[in-house]
Amino acid sequence: MKKIIFLILFSSAFGVGAGEIVQQCNSDNLANECIPKLSEGFNFLKSYKVDGTAKDRIEYSYVFMKGTQYMINLCASGAVTDGLVVSILDKDRNKIASSKINGQFVSAIAFPCNASGIYYIQYTFDDPSSHCGGSALGFKR
Amino acid sequence: MRIFIIGVLTAFFVSCTSEKKPDDQEFLKSLESTEEKTGIDEDVINAILDQIPSPLEISVLLKESGSKYNGALLNQSDNLPKYNNNYKKALNLGVYGTDLGYTNIYGQNQDGIKYISTIKSLADELNIGQFFDIETIGRLATNSKNLDSLLLITTLNFNHINHYLQSQGRDNLSVLLLTGGWLEAMQITCQVAAKKPSKELFEKIGEQKIILEQILLLFSFYKDDTNMAGLLKDLELLKAAYEKVSINYTYKESSMEIVNGVAVIKDNSTTTIDITEQNVEEIRTITNSIRIRIIS
Repeated sequence: MKKIIFLILFSSAFGVGAGEIVQQCNSDNLANECIPKLSEGFNFLKSYKVDGTAKDRIEYSYVFMKGTQYMINLCASGAVTDGLVVSILDKDRNKIASSKINGQFVSAIAFPCNASGIYYIQYTFDDPSSHCGGSALGFKR
Repeated sequence: MRIFIIGVLTAFFVSCTSEKKPDDQEFLKSLESTEEKTGIDEDVINAILDQIPSPLEISVLLKESGSKYNGALLNQSDNLPKYNNNYKKALNLGVYGTDLGYTNIYGQNQDGIKYISTIKSLADELNIGQFFDIETIGRLATNSKNLDSLLLITTLNFNHINHYLQSQGRDNLSVLLLTGGWLEAMQITCQVAAKKPSKELFEKIGEQKIILEQILLLFSFYKDDTNMAGLLKDLELLKAAYEKVSINYTYKESSMEIVNGVAVIKDNSTTTIDITEQNVEEIRTITNSIRIRIIS
């Protein structure tokens, strides 16, 4: 399975990347790197590019379902998370979770969802060396 | 439910393995249902498409709830010749994608194999066949242990296909792929719930109100597309049925603890879903009639 995932990522990265202008932030690669790092038992759902070179906050949304456990992890080019923070906000923008807890950065959030709805997955930077990263979302029942 | 699209998503696999270029005639044909370039903001469409769960998610739920595999619930692969315009082709590519994912989750390889060639045919006819690596699809779809890879490949491929379709002003087809996949998952879930009613399944069906609202939002951008306007009318009937279902959200601050370097959240917010057996039956009936029109 890991080999298959590697092959997929490898072919995808090169298939899509060829011919594109080299960017300062290769968030595509970092997002792909995050996929095999999802904890055992989680099925991949999405990968997210986090290119903060032009803006301070990158946001995506996703419908989370009650009874399902989700995991969002982070990958950065420097230190483990390099100041990259992911937060989950509900539809009313109440903060549900963050990867920065009491000043400590962690590289993943496990979110057993208890309320179905649209959630915002928000990426911000806290004193990073580069405003660049990737992330993956997985689920398990 | 994006174990759904996403699902549609099930059908979409590894990136370009052939450099097949659509000829001019094929290309013009492919635009038949587009009518005119939409000029719709790609970012807006992508943001909505992106948040819709894969249909495979609900198939996993069905299996885990103890529901037995039932191939009779799926669209038959020999219906393929009926799909003679791009509108039908795109919708049914989504339908078959969900069906393939369903067979995969239940390890029903013999049934799954039938869908692989059907999916490839439809993709070729829509000029997106270059995004399908039939060997990889076959390998993953016939091994239920490969669900994770299947999801990965379908998601990546849907993104590539969506991007390609948007570049051609055919983004309506992305929406149809997704809608076909979602409706098929809805249909399977509703049929299972009718046979073996459970609170959990009823709630799953009720929760789909959230997804339907997003799909309707997507369709609102394509009111000038005759085919999509027709389907929108059908979906509005479903919306009317869902108006009797209420989803009540209560926010309560969550708590967190760090376990092995992972922030583990205790979600204290809740949703309650008020849905009756009658509501489910009405939703099932409407979903089934829409789906029959799509696959016929």
